[in-house]
Amino acid sequence: MKEKTMNIKRHNAKQAILTSVLAMVVSLVLGAILLAICGYSPIESYIAIFGSSLGTVKGFALSLSQATPLLFTGMAFAIAYRVRMINTGAEGQLYVGAMAAALVGAYVTGLPSVVHVPLCLLAAALAGGLVAGLVAFLKNRFGANEIILTLMLNEILILFTSYLANGPLKAEGSGVGQTNRIQESAQLFRLIPQTQLTIALLVGIALAVILQLVLNRTAFGYEIQITGYNLLAARTAGINAKRTYLLTFAISGAVAGLGGAAMSLGVNYRFVEGFSASYGFGGISVAALAAYSPVGVILSSFLIGVLKAGAITVNRTTDIPVEFVSVIQVLVIIFVAAPTLIRSLIALPKKLAGRGKQAEVKKEGANS
Amino acid sequence: MRLIISILSSSLRSSVPLILAATGGTFSSRSGVSDLGLEGMMLFGAFFGVYGSYISGNAWVGLLFGAAFGAISAMLHAVMHITYRVNASISGMCVNLLATAATPLLLNSIFHMNGKSEQVTAFSKVNSDALESIPFIGPILNSQSVLFYLTIILVVLGWLFMYKTTAGLRMRMVGENPQAASTVGLKVNAYKYFGVAMSGVFAGLGGAYLSLSQMDLFVENMTNGRGYIAVVINAFGHYNPLGAMLGSIFFGFFDSLQTVFQSTLPSQLVMMAPYLFTMLVIVFGMKRGKAPAGIGKYVDN
Amino acid sequence: MELIEMKHITKIYPGTVALDGVDFSLKQGEILSLLGENGAGKTTLMKVLYGMTQPNSGEICYKGEPLRLRSPIDAINKGICMVHQHFMLVPAFSVTDNIVVGAEPHKGIFLDKAKAKREVQELIQQFHFNIDPDILVERLSVGEQQRVEILKALYRKADVIILDEPTAVLTPTEVEELFVILRQLRDSGKSIIIITHKLKETMELADRIVVLRDGRLVADDVRPAEVTTEQLSSLMVGRQVDLQIRRPAKNIGEVCLKVENLTVMDHGQAKVKNVSLEVHAGEILGVAGIEGNGQTQLLEALTGLCQPKSMALTLNGEPLSGACDVFIHHGVGHVPEDRLAMGLVKEMSIKDNLILGYHRQDRFCGKGGMMKQAAIDGYAEKLKEEFLIKTPSVNAPVSSLSGGNQQKVIIARVFSQSPKALIVAHPTRGVDIGAIEYIHQQLIDIRDSGAAILLVSADLDEVRTLSDRIVVLYEGQIVSESMPGELSEVELGLLMTGSKPAGKGETHA
Repeated sequence: MKEKTMNIKRHNAKQAILTSVLAMVVSLVLGAILLAICGYSPIESYIAIFGSSLGTVKGFALSLSQATPLLFTGMAFAIAYRVRMINTGAEGQLYVGAMAAALVGAYVTGLPSVVHVPLCLLAAALAGGLVAGLVAFLKNRFGANEIILTLMLNEILILFTSYLANGPLKAEGSGVGQTNRIQESAQLFRLIPQTQLTIALLVGIALAVILQLVLNRTAFGYEIQITGYNLLAARTAGINAKRTYLLTFAISGAVAGLGGAAMSLGVNYRFVEGFSASYGFGGISVAALAAYSPVGVILSSFLIGVLKAGAITVNRTTDIPVEFVSVIQVLVIIFVAAPTLIRSLIALPKKLAGRGKQAEVKKEGANS
Repeated sequence: MRLIISILSSSLRSSVPLILAATGGTFSSRSGVSDLGLEGMMLFGAFFGVYGSYISGNAWVGLLFGAAFGAISAMLHAVMHITYRVNASISGMCVNLLATAATPLLLNSIFHMNGKSEQVTAFSKVNSDALESIPFIGPILNSQSVLFYLTIILVVLGWLFMYKTTAGLRMRMVGENPQAASTVGLKVNAYKYFGVAMSGVFAGLGGAYLSLSQMDLFVENMTNGRGYIAVVINAFGHYNPLGAMLGSIFFGFFDSLQTVFQSTLPSQLVMMAPYLFTMLVIVFGMKRGKAPAGIGKYVDN
Repeated sequence: MELIEMKHITKIYPGTVALDGVDFSLKQGEILSLLGENGAGKTTLMKVLYGMTQPNSGEICYKGEPLRLRSPIDAINKGICMVHQHFMLVPAFSVTDNIVVGAEPHKGIFLDKAKAKREVQELIQQFHFNIDPDILVERLSVGEQQRVEILKALYRKADVIILDEPTAVLTPTEVEELFVILRQLRDSGKSIIIITHKLKETMELADRIVVLRDGRLVADDVRPAEVTTEQLSSLMVGRQVDLQIRRPAKNIGEVCLKVENLTVMDHGQAKVKNVSLEVHAGEILGVAGIEGNGQTQLLEALTGLCQPKSMALTLNGEPLSGACDVFIHHGVGHVPEDRLAMGLVKEMSIKDNLILGYHRQDRFCGKGGMMKQAAIDGYAEKLKEEFLIKTPSVNAPVSSLSGGNQQKVIIARVFSQSPKALIVAHPTRGVDIGAIEYIHQQLIDIRDSGAAILLVSADLDEVRTLSDRIVVLYEGQIVSESMPGELSEVELGLLMTGSKPAGKGETHA
């Protein structure tokens, strides 16, 4: 026991990986049971899902493009959780980010792509960061709970951007709520033509590496961890906790905002109302699966992306509902949060069998 | 005058699901467990309310289904938080996320429909000429759902339980100081499970009211954040069922003011109002220090 | 006949044997003092008797009958009740509700409030407790809260009442009142067990003394009349401890830390009132006082944790104000009150904890905010050797250390920064004897190297041994200043409760 805990960082990392792998496996097994209950063959379904998302270039590209927004929202949740703040507001931050990027993309003209795209990204990060920063400010100043605040803000921001896309900023002649198409100079470079896979994925991966370095190697990252683990000790050590909360949460919001930009600049080429397939909340399971490590989010968002892409593809030919992936995502959060639950679940059949045997023994005893 | 009556009448109508969910929240909070999962429990209640009515043709059976599945979904929160000691914000959000993920799946596999369910037998409104003839009050109370009256009764019963019975006193002690409760021999976790189960029952009823009384079918995500608003109302009403009821009517009143502006403002802006109002209440309207002191605490061994 | 007999009780926690085959007995109508150092196993033994924890082996007999205690409720049903050190009360409940909960009078499912109040009232009158049964517990003083706890036991018809460190938070007057109550209870036939490490009150109150050391029984059936305090002390500790030997300061220098007009408000109440004090370089100024007389607020003000209403603070003549970072940066070291809550991050490594608060220094953190890992590793290894921190690796979590070694991490972190001034609170609370001696030596050493030290401790012996000057804090004010040896323990004790010892104090004024 002592030797195992000799290096706390390595020990924690090992534990986290073990927990995540187990959580994913158990969730997939439960997903299979769910499929069986709904009347589909689980094995065939999984073969179809993984075959389509990993077996073809197109499917693989779809997996990666499904993973892209989750990569951003997952990082957003993970980084905020490091100061033990819960950013359930990634959905709303995604929407304002998408709107900001779409507007700068559509209305700023005459710029070369290398300037225009970063400008759009900056606008999106600022928008998301400001919204999250406001929440952290209200928490610092009034002690308000950030979870409820961000959930309320989600509703407000989704409605407000929808109002903009249907009202003052509505694209001319459009039947649905969307803004004008962005300039060509603002469109993200496609890594594989004819797919939705764009350079946004690489931006996200780079960002994950940077965030991980900030967390592990900088004084600010050290302060984030201290504040997250023990607020009073942080204050006693002269760390400005409120500033740490504010900055970390603003960064979290900015990252989610960038996720919105990836959708506006790379997929829809404009802001479209209701564009998010709950990417904000999907980020929670991605972050949990990654044990709240930004670099881990690269892998976990890919895993969920594969599942989502597979389900979307399979859904075109069969009627396996796409939502079943969302259920798996929630299961993942549950098992990562309560790893001992897995052990209990695994022990359950044995326990039941044990009881059955006892009952049998009793019966036999009664018969003889 | 007619406008005021119509606003007050619709205030009560829109406050019923909030009253139910927030009262559920008081049970959870008073037993020492955060009530962040109300939204999901409501959504499950709304779905299974419709399902119960669908398979039986009887709205009352639907209501029972709603309450039962509200409680069953609450057990996810309870098991994670109470037994496995997961942070209650995370376990509560799990219920909410599971509800948004699972109800479309259930809709698909049971009704083979997307977005909404078939129409089912719903509750009728109580219409009485005698009631209508009472000046002012009459028209406000008349044509409310029968569930409105049931809700009032349940809230009063909930209050009686919490403040007048021995079990209520014990549950509140668990919520204030679980360690102390365990030293006088109380089964702390049993009271917490009970509190969370009751929050599920009430939230489930609240959800079923939405799908079986305000409407007669299930629509995807039809709770629309009411569960979160109920969390705020619960705190606003000092974790007391009567406070939850008054707070909910206050919110309901604000909600129904929307109808006044509906013709003049874009619908999205009007729909934002209750959420903005809730935010203002969270920031400025809360008295700190009223929450049960033992929320989120465990018994050390 | 013995009322309770515990035979060969053994209790093993992961890594330690808390109780090693302890025999224990209690007679009806006696006050028994269960004496021992921190960690000697007193509380564990009583938790076994109260059903809060199950022993690995051994048996308990009650009135000759074997007894199985699965939970406190079993003990309560047998009339065994416990008054915990941290009171098990609900501040938001009334006195009556607190007393009856769990054993309420009822009509059907409903609580019978009238009967509950009547019964509690009768009990209060019977024992002359003078408490309003309707008042909320949050409005009671600590001594009154303790009486509510005793009422809880009496309400449950307790025959045996166990009190865990009952005088730790009481003023001397309240202690006297408590003793009156306990004697009265004994005379009415109840049996009382006091868990304590305080010799004086043991000698004053107990009919019989049982001493535990390192989980073993070392003395049974000691009569206060037959032993001296010194004999008891060596029984408890197992050897003569030279903690009491003073090592006076050799070279006291100029005023280093100077505080004037310090007033701290907390929830609208002045907790520290217009305090002024000076600490010289090379001197330890001890602050004696009963807990809750403004020590916490004084510490917070002098370390930047709270912003006082008024304070003029100078460090070597330079004014100083701001948050903790300013104080740390200017060389005011802080050994906080509660090491796990304030001083350490238990999830992180020893290494990371050794630089906490100093992590922005140039030697640990380069330009651009990057941490210098190699420098930190080397630094941590050096401190581990220098301060004898017992651990296989500085990468191990700080939570894997014993209490004494955790405190050494804090001492190492702060003392190695060669602070000009040190604010030290309860440096040896809850650490083993060996570590106490080591920490005291470190304090003396850094004093002799020229640091100005303000020492706040709840342990009057510690204050008397270490300090070069002693002030007494009472209700937020300094009521006395004296040189060590000038005032006796009794005189200091009186000052701590706001009364003036005869013949002293006035002559100085």
